[in-house]
Amino acid sequence: MTRPSGLVMYAIFYLAFLYLPVLLLPLFSFNDGTIVAFPIKGWTLEWYRQLGGQDTLLQALVNSLFVGFVSAVMATSMGLFAARAYVRYRFRGQEASEALVMLPLVIPGIIVASSMLVLFISMGLKPSLTAVMLGHTFLALPFSVSIMKSAFDDFDVSLEEAAYDLGSGVVETFRRVTLPIVAPGIVSSLLVTFTVSFDEFVLAFFLSGNQPTLPVYIWSQIRFPAKLPNTLALGSLLLLASVLLLVVAEYFRRRSTKSTL
Amino acid sequence: MTETNIIQLQGIEKRFGKFVAVSDLSLDLREGEFFSLLGPSGCGKTTALRMIAGFQEPTEGKVLIDGQDMEGMPANKRPTNMVFQSYAIFPHLNVGNNVAYGLRNRGISKSEIDTRVKEALEMVELGGLEARGANELSGGQRQRVALARALVMRPKVLLLDEPLSALDKKLREQMQFEMRHLQQSLGITFVMVTHDQYEAMTMSDRIGVMFDGRLVQVDTPQTLYAKPGSREVASFIGEMNFLPAEVTAETGDTFSISTPGFGAMKIEANPNVARHGRHISVGIRPEQLEIARHKPDGYDGTVQGVVRDVAFYGENVHYHVGVEGLDKPIAASVPNYFHTVDHAPGDKVWLGVQAASVIDLGEDKQTS
Amino acid sequence: MDDRPLSYPLEGTRAWGKSLAGLRSEKAKGLALSAPATVYVGFLVAAPLVILVAYSLWTQTYVSIDRTLTLANYREALTDPLVRHLMIRSILIAAAVTLATVALAYPIAYFIALKAQRKTLWLLLITIPFWSSYLLRVFAWKLILGFNGVMNSALLGVGLISDPLTFLLYNEFSVVLTLAHAWAPFAILPIYVSLQKIDPSLLEAANDLGSGKVQQFLRVTLPLTIPGIIAACLIIFIPTVGDYVTPSLVGGSDGKMIANLIQVQFGAANNWPLGATLSLLAMMSVGFVAILFVLSATGLGRRIR
Repeated sequence: MTRPSGLVMYAIFYLAFLYLPVLLLPLFSFNDGTIVAFPIKGWTLEWYRQLGGQDTLLQALVNSLFVGFVSAVMATSMGLFAARAYVRYRFRGQEASEALVMLPLVIPGIIVASSMLVLFISMGLKPSLTAVMLGHTFLALPFSVSIMKSAFDDFDVSLEEAAYDLGSGVVETFRRVTLPIVAPGIVSSLLVTFTVSFDEFVLAFFLSGNQPTLPVYIWSQIRFPAKLPNTLALGSLLLLASVLLLVVAEYFRRRSTKSTL
Repeated sequence: MTETNIIQLQGIEKRFGKFVAVSDLSLDLREGEFFSLLGPSGCGKTTALRMIAGFQEPTEGKVLIDGQDMEGMPANKRPTNMVFQSYAIFPHLNVGNNVAYGLRNRGISKSEIDTRVKEALEMVELGGLEARGANELSGGQRQRVALARALVMRPKVLLLDEPLSALDKKLREQMQFEMRHLQQSLGITFVMVTHDQYEAMTMSDRIGVMFDGRLVQVDTPQTLYAKPGSREVASFIGEMNFLPAEVTAETGDTFSISTPGFGAMKIEANPNVARHGRHISVGIRPEQLEIARHKPDGYDGTVQGVVRDVAFYGENVHYHVGVEGLDKPIAASVPNYFHTVDHAPGDKVWLGVQAASVIDLGEDKQTS
Repeated sequence: MDDRPLSYPLEGTRAWGKSLAGLRSEKAKGLALSAPATVYVGFLVAAPLVILVAYSLWTQTYVSIDRTLTLANYREALTDPLVRHLMIRSILIAAAVTLATVALAYPIAYFIALKAQRKTLWLLLITIPFWSSYLLRVFAWKLILGFNGVMNSALLGVGLISDPLTFLLYNEFSVVLTLAHAWAPFAILPIYVSLQKIDPSLLEAANDLGSGKVQQFLRVTLPLTIPGIIAACLIIFIPTVGDYVTPSLVGGSDGKMIANLIQVQFGAANNWPLGATLSLLAMMSVGFVAILFVLSATGLGRRIR
């Protein structure tokens, strides 16, 4: 190609459109001024420094990490088993089950949030981190199932049969063959589901009660123009964390599919 | 005779719901033989192999290995090992650990494991490749690792599921000889499943032919080729011209027959055939036919026809000759001795055959 | 070559059976392994639905809930012009978002699937921004589009405009723009997958049979990607109708959607029965529009010859 075609130009513009908001946030987080507009007044790390001293923020961070961790573990373990069942076995109701576990992806957030709030209250569970965890597990499950499904898809059944043929029992086979081969998929699923929970807002907004997660905390700060620079700094850190986690997850996912070529 | 039966299949049957994968299969395998189960895809040969391995339990019948009933014995406890069609090389382990995998289930000392792995790899000519990663192997090397991994267990029977189907033609032919030599030097019984008749014939002591879940004939490659028990078997193994024939007289093991074209002949009855009748089917291998411009002398049957097609294969030439009274042309194959193609489409030629080359294939289902 | 049945049952091997507590058949094992996920999602979908229906038939008196069954909420919701207005606007905005996102994304999917040299790199580049918090991205758009925001200050700075643009923020436009950005990968990926599946020889065949580039695209490529387009549309349209964050942050009063009203019922207004009713009505409208869309889209796809 001697000259970039129209399609390439379009792709580049589109990419710029996609990255515009995620790059502007970090850019203005270093701006030595409280108004988010050009020209940039000067550079400072002050806004980041101030974050360290805010106890409610740190508590929200701890809440988010905790909820994210528990949701990731719960979603990934359910996803692991379900994906294995979907890939390896044929059973009655399989298609219905596979469709059902993907449902959380397409239900509008407000409906999930309001209906879970109503359900949990009726069951006597007050809005709390536990409620958020249950909700986030629900939202993260489709991600876990699809990641684990592709991990098992690439997994040749005869590998387990070979282990078995060479004298391993069920537990041995799982420990020495199945687990090491799908391990990258599990790691990838844990990271992705953690990120889903860590970034989720609407459900946490409805269900967290007086224990805000980080996005709920940010929501409460958005209203105060004076807090804007701090929010930008915090948001930038979150963006960075999410992207890093996802790049690592992607690395593991690639490894899981490459290893069984 | 000191031959013992290492594997006895006694009337085994496998059904998946209503589908019968294997029906009433009885077979004795001798110690130290190379046995192949040959058949088209879907004929049940792999299911039969997996029942020996213990991956599937027969719905009916018994599997005996070395005289012991295998019912309820899981695959990891059976004295058999398998080379999988996909080779199933553990991707997370290197070559050495792949081969050592099974030995580590047995509580064998580390030094002995190392020695046996080394021996096994040398046996398959991969000596020194212990540290090679599973993903750095070529197709042929993967096949060898799979062989070494199974053989290092010193199984009583080695089971091979289409072990060469993933390799290209040249490598496949080379591996056929290597595996045959390996089997002969180890003296272990090999049971191989294949859909490739040439593979089965070049490697095996005996071949069992399966169609639609049934075992239809078990014989040496030579017998299978010379005396196939039915038209089905004859058409699956090698090429064959089929002719309808009428039995005019029967004396002991000899039939007097008359066929369209070649006329009257006396042929030997085929002991492998189950049913005869007044109308039988006979077969003639293309390479057993003489083709000449003038009527050849000294043949028991001759017929004149017109060359329809000529196919040049390199090592031989196939002529398809249309004969009056036969729906299908007769194929005759001539070795390419002199780099010449002697007949062209439209030429009038004579075909000649000896009665000994006319194979009795039993009752002709098409005409009777 | 392979005469095994479709799946490879291991039921004959007793140890497997025993270890899974006597579950011999693969059917039982499949059911048992998938049960936790199925039951979890099934419960959290079905149970709230039942309770939402119950709530929607109750009424809110000042502090407590009156549990006599009545259709009053439905009557109120269906006759209230505000509800109808927000519902219709939500659906129209979601439709506009879907259309805009898919139209903008199709060329990119096409580029990556059929033209780009480094497909995985492009796919990664496209998905990375979306792993950051949705809330933060919407918030960033608010900052970009504001009266004194990034866009206006930049345009003023380079002298393209003399007064700040006012149509950027707090209207339907900003909502559609923000959501078209938010859903980009959800449109690109399904379309990419369906493009990727097209056998190149089909395009060559079309070419060979006399189709030009445009014909080739309209009669072969496009129809074959309709399943991808439908998937993209649904995965965008359905959640968008119930989106809360974007209308709250960048919608202003002209951009409010049904989710904002629902949130108010569960929050400040403290009228859960009405909130439940609105949720159910929103769900039904979404389902109705989605089914209508799938039917007409597949019908349209079949008509291409």
